[in-house]
Amino acid sequence: MENERIQLLENVFCDVFENLAFMFGELVDKSDLMHNNMKHTLAQMRFDGDRTGEVILTVPDEMCPEIAANVLGIDPDDDQVYDLAGDALKEMLNIICGQLLTALEGSDPVFDLTVPKIQNIKIEDWNELLKRDESLAFIVDDYPVILYVKMDK
Amino acid sequence: MAYNILIVDDSAIVRAVIKKALTISGVDVGELFNAADGQQALEIVANEWVDLVFADINMPVMGGIEMVRRMSEDGLLTTIPVIVVSTEGSATRIEELKAQGVSDYLRKPFTPEQIREVVDKVMGENHGK
Repeated sequence: MENERIQLLENVFCDVFENLAFMFGELVDKSDLMHNNMKHTLAQMRFDGDRTGEVILTVPDEMCPEIAANVLGIDPDDDQVYDLAGDALKEMLNIICGQLLTALEGSDPVFDLTVPKIQNIKIEDWNELLKRDESLAFIVDDYPVILYVKMDK
Repeated sequence: MAYNILIVDDSAIVRAVIKKALTISGVDVGELFNAADGQQALEIVANEWVDLVFADINMPVMGGIEMVRRMSEDGLLTTIPVIVVSTEGSATRIEELKAQGVSDYLRKPFTPEQIREVVDKVMGENHGK
């Protein structure tokens, strides 16, 4: 992936986490994320328009309630953060995807976005995703996070 | 004047964020209704007094655009302003939405000040209707 594109993805990713969830991200080498034994949740959505493609975000399971608490500005021990944890991750992906498309393609093209979906991901699949060329590795508040952006055409 | 507001989004956290932003912004909210999709929203606007609707575009069952289209077919419901809240940043899409009857557009993420501004603008414009 060329440096200019990586810089742009990094900026969008870090801005969304910082502005929405008050969490601070840093682009790191993929090797920094390997060999972790955490369970991860994957959020995925597709876009279709002048270009088609897919955006994936993976975060450790335990990070999801923290995102929800930060987005809502409520105590992390509040019961509702567990109910909203999945929704919080989907929303982070949704906003990252929308911001990325404008940053990459400008404000003229119209894209149709799918509703984000989440699922658990096996550690071997997580490692495979990390190795892909379209993946970037981040550390966000000490949590390992993968952002995968693929544009088909 | 307190506004009865309907928030339509399949994401519970987005509904909570809009509610919180409205509270912080100082918008005078009367009754607050929630719907998870356009179909549920149509049932609420048919049975309750709603002054203003915030709606997502992409939702299961019925999306925000189809909801606005159905509202525009009803002489009474067509007067209720709908503000679309979405992540999309396409200027072309925003113009399309307005042509389809959407009153205004709020891009996520947004601040309480921005939500106040759009409510003031839309409800000010709507006063003459």
